[in-house]
Amino acid sequence: MGATPGTFSKTEVDGKLVVGVGDLIVTSDPSATVVTYALGSCIGVTVYDPVAKVGGLLHFMLPSADLNKDKAAANPAMFGDIGIPLLFKTAYEKGAKKERLIVCAAGGAEVLSDDGHFKIGSRNRTLVRKIFWKNGILLSADETGGSNSRTLSLRMSDGAVAVRTQGTERALWPT
Amino acid sequence: MADVNAILSKLDNLAALPSTVLRLTTLLMSGKAAAAEIEQVARQDEALSITILRWANSAMFGRPGRTFTLRESITRLGNANLLSIVLQQKTSTMFERAGAAFGLARGELWRSAVGGGICAQSIARSSKFDNPELAFLCGLLRDIGKLALDAHFGSAYAEKVQRHMSPDRSFLDAEREAFGFDHAQVGKALALKWKLPERIAECIGAHHNPPPPGAGHDTLIDIVHAADVVCLWAGLAIGCDGLQYRLAEHVRTGLDLSRPQAEFLIASAWQDVRSAEQLMKDPAPSRKSA
Repeated sequence: MGATPGTFSKTEVDGKLVVGVGDLIVTSDPSATVVTYALGSCIGVTVYDPVAKVGGLLHFMLPSADLNKDKAAANPAMFGDIGIPLLFKTAYEKGAKKERLIVCAAGGAEVLSDDGHFKIGSRNRTLVRKIFWKNGILLSADETGGSNSRTLSLRMSDGAVAVRTQGTERALWPT
Repeated sequence: MADVNAILSKLDNLAALPSTVLRLTTLLMSGKAAAAEIEQVARQDEALSITILRWANSAMFGRPGRTFTLRESITRLGNANLLSIVLQQKTSTMFERAGAAFGLARGELWRSAVGGGICAQSIARSSKFDNPELAFLCGLLRDIGKLALDAHFGSAYAEKVQRHMSPDRSFLDAEREAFGFDHAQVGKALALKWKLPERIAECIGAHHNPPPPGAGHDTLIDIVHAADVVCLWAGLAIGCDGLQYRLAEHVRTGLDLSRPQAEFLIASAWQDVRSAEQLMKDPAPSRKSA
């Protein structure tokens, strides 16, 4: 049981485990709901093993840890290229198996008129696709892009993943 | 349809920036005020005096076995630290409870304000802008219009604006269609009501639509606009407005803002805000928090 918090302090609000920006939580507590707020250009990735009942959520901000080695060392969950492997590794350490994992993603939004110079959300989305393709992992469901803020949650009792946008929640997995 | 002046006239309960803060801000930003002059203003605000003393005698700035007086504390902290401490402390109480009008939880608007201030200051320094402290102030205050709308409408504001939103439309356009004004315009009106300098009020009013080079252009507005977009990318205070704002191209080119620089600012934003929050809460700030 219990959760593995990331770099920043873990907070529990209304019975939910809240994953902060640039953080991750992996848990095997079946009563828990893991949630992250304010996914703008950042991306949230959930993993869930329905047999081991292990699941986790990562909220990464930027694609590559090459930006700054010190920040990456202090806070690996901030960067997708090292945060995603860390999410999977932590889940495996708690008993999850790669072949059983249900993987979902949400976020990667853009400001309205980024002319292609920055593309922060788009580069995060590309990183997710690339890293999963290289490792033979299929996304079970995703909701990325656009310009909306999103809230992503994972219910540990059954692995249900939901996205809330503009006050409306919809099931991401199962669909 | 509501009118900006009608809204502001009903906002007497919305705490204005205390006059001591405005006078101190002006003195500190001028860079020419003597410690005695600053002390004279600070003494009129007991809470502010205590804060300055506490900081100067903390592990970060103090000296073991020595207690600094108020005037010594002012000298020891220096203008930039004083400005940051004074403004963050005084605005935190205004911002921390607001947010419902934009679908934000308590504290998020405050984090966005601090993040915007720190980010604007950082961009100002890297672009060799001559007054980074002014950039900090404008970044911090850029969304005071949200305070006014929060106090007047509460969550009803978000509900009405959302009915006018569509995927490719800016949030400002939706606000104007729903109410006839946007939060930046309200912020400018509030700044003028608070008797903030006109340049600051202009910056607040135009921080989403900075005038391009030519008449009306001000690099200060460009800097605050860029800082605001960095805060959006970093996920600081993204509410019902999402990322539905436009990035002005002339700002990117004018400030020579590169992608690595933007990413570094994004990566630093949350850490800076958390440090600031810790410093505001910590009764005895430690040296490591610097």
